[in-house]
Parts: sequence; C-alpha cells; structure tokens
Amino acid sequence: MDQLFAFIARQRAFIFFVGLEVLSLWLFFKYNNYPSAVYFNTANYYAGQLLGAQASATKYMNLGKVNAGLAEENARLHAQLAQVQNRQLSGLNYKADSVVAARFQTLVAKVINNSTNQFNNFITIDKGIADGVQPGMGVISATGVVGKVKVCSNHFSVLTSVLHAENMVSSKVQRSGEIASAKWNGLRPDEISLLYLSRYKSVKLGDTVVTSHLNSVFPGDVPVGYVRKLKPSADGAFWDITLRLATDFPNLSYVYVVDNRLKPEQDALETDAKK
Amino acid sequence: MNTRNLLSIVLWSLLYLALQVLLFRNLALFHYGFCFVYVAVILSLPFDVSVVTTLFMAFAAGFIVDIFYNTPGLHAAATVLVAYLRPFAIRLLMPQRGYEERNEPLLTDLGPAWFLSYVGLLVLLHHTVVFFIEAANWNLWLPTLGKIGLSTVFTTAVLTLLQVFRRN
Repeated sequence: MDQLFAFIARQRAFIFFVGLEVLSLWLFFKYNNYPSAVYFNTANYYAGQLLGAQASATKYMNLGKVNAGLAEENARLHAQLAQVQNRQLSGLNYKADSVVAARFQTLVAKVINNSTNQFNNFITIDKGIADGVQPGMGVISATGVVGKVKVCSNHFSVLTSVLHAENMVSSKVQRSGEIASAKWNGLRPDEISLLYLSRYKSVKLGDTVVTSHLNSVFPGDVPVGYVRKLKPSADGAFWDITLRLATDFPNLSYVYVVDNRLKPEQDALETDAKK
Repeated sequence: MNTRNLLSIVLWSLLYLALQVLLFRNLALFHYGFCFVYVAVILSLPFDVSVVTTLFMAFAAGFIVDIFYNTPGLHAAATVLVAYLRPFAIRLLMPQRGYEERNEPLLTDLGPAWFLSYVGLLVLLHHTVVFFIEAANWNLWLPTLGKIGLSTVFTTAVLTLLQVFRRN
C-alpha cells in the first residue's frame, strides 16, 4: 500500500495529465453532442454578454460599407418593384405605359442630421440639387416612408419627416384597400395616426397600412405602419387609429429619394383642369 | 516565487486570454492562419512552476478559450499536452552550460535561437493537436497541415513580438 502511495506521489504529474486529457477529450467528443450542452459554449450567459458587448463596440467599423451595399441593392429593387407593380396593377386589360411604369427613380442618400423629439421634425441628407434632388420629392427608407424634400442646397437637402405636422401621407389599408390619411400626432417618434377612415370600413389590429396610388410623391405600396390601437372616434363617424411606424426614425441612417419623373406633367395637367 | 511574480503571472495570463477571445478570435490569415496567442499562458511560466500547477493552469486556460470557440475540451486537451511536455522541451533545449540563474523563458535572456526553438516546437505541437482533433477526419489532412503550418508561424511570430513587452 505504501508503495502504491509512493508511486502515485512520484507519478502524480502523469496521472493528472492523463486525467485532464481524458476529461477534455470526453467533453469534446461526447458532451458537446448532447442537446443540453449549453453551458460550455457561447450560449453561456456570461460569454454571450461579453460577445454582445464586443459586437456593439466593434459593429460600427464596417457598418458603413454594409449599409451602403444594402441601400444600393434596395434602391435597385424598389425601382424594379415599382415597374412590376404598375404592370400588374389590375386584372383588367390595363397595361401601364412603360414611361408611367418606370416613372419612379430612387437615389440613395445618407442621413446626416435627424431630429425625432421636436413637434415638427426635420431630416438632413447628403444629396442635393447637384444630385438631382428637388423640393417636393418623396423620401422612403428600406422599411417605410420617411418624408418629403422641403429645401435643397447644392449638396444637401432638408426633409420634413413624416414626424411633422405638415406632412400627410395618402395611405390605404393593404388588406382591404380602404383609403385614409396618415398624420403624425406629435407624441411618439414610433407612432402615427391614421385619419378619415370611415367607421364602416374594414380595419383590424395588426393590419399593414401602405402608401396609396392616389399620390404623386410616393410610389404605391410603401409601408407606412401597422395598426397598433383601434377604437371608434368620439363622434362615431370614423375610426381612431394609431399606427406603429414602419420606419425606425431614431435609427435612420440611409434613405432613398424618390423622383417621380412624371410629377411635373401630372401636376400641370391637374392645374390646367381646375382652371 | 514571491507575490510580485505571482501577480505578474496572473495579469499576463488574463491579458493573453483577453487578446485571444477579443482580438484573435475573429482574425484569420488567408483563411488558414490562426493565432492561438493564449498558449503563452503556459509557455511563459517560470521554469520552476510545478508540472501539476502547469497542468491545471493549462486546462483552465484552454477551457476558457473553448467556451468562446464553442469547442469544449479541444483547446483544453491540446494545452494540457503542451503543459505536460514543456519540461521535456526545456530539458531538450538546455544550453551546454545549463540555464544557470535564468528561470524564465525570455527572448532577451536566452537569445532568439533558443526562444524560437522553444516556442516553435511547443506551438507546433499544440496546433497539430488542435487542428487534427478538430478536423477528426484524415481526408482533410492536406488543408489541416496547411493550417498547422501557417498558424504555427503566425502564433510564433506574435509570441515573439509580445516579448518586446516582457523585459526583466
């Protein structure tokens, strides 16, 4: 027995070595395959916290590139989508003139200044007259409507964001096609009101509200928001609707300026008709 | 071994681990070169630290790295092997006149030839174990050898550069 202890004492380094190796290899080849093995990897709470902190500290390093790429891609897709939608607008024998179908051109711009906490909010972008931006153009983001160009300098433009009392967006409930107007109520940067929807029209919580085709600023079917609150208005004639905005205004970084190339023609015609 | 030495060892070990987890984890040269700088936790220990202590430090260091690489046991196994074989490497590379008073594997004390052989040998051993266990497939031997080679050079270079900060 003494000899055994003496042997263990003499060989303890080797014994520990073998023990730790066996433990390690068992962990790697067996334990790691168990579905419950969430403690010894990055699903681990502390490891996740550390990696999350690291990601939030380093994500800005390539954010610019990633975003620019996405924005470019989206600009292209929006242009294609507008064409396709106009081509398939109805099951009737309607066929959009190719010039009409392709009337919306998009231009990517970067948001360089953005307020969301004032009652009337403005956004500054880094594209201006030199890039073809003109007052009156609509601006959308990858997720939804953003606003309308108000003034332009050569290289910058200021928009009235949707979070602005002046801005009204002609909208429709996507599911039922009912037309209404979206207008900011000045309270929260993530909510907007939907006005003038008759009490007898169909709308449900969670419905998607998009831009209608009855405006010349935005292409149709751009998301405005999603129905968050719904109740009959005080006089009983309309719905009192609050939408969750589709665009995340506080974190807005890239936007698309939408150029409706036929807008001057349409405006001139409508003005003529009223004379 | 006094308190100051102990503190220095602990701080350097934490630094090597932090470098590994936060910096080198996301770094790959040409998809083949990885740097496992944390091996320095074991390699830079003074010569008179007992093998058992070294083994447990190796297991702990390897296991912490494993958690962040989602490979529990892999780096622990390789590092424990390095810890066990380190005394043999030290004896193998002993200069003709012995280590005399020198007790730490420092580039400035023992010279570049000794340091590069010591680090290169043990890093090569570590990386061979890591990449072959990880591949667990002999059909991948060629890319695995490529990874071992490039990574050994990478890790050895980084460990040598880090010696700039480790003067007596």
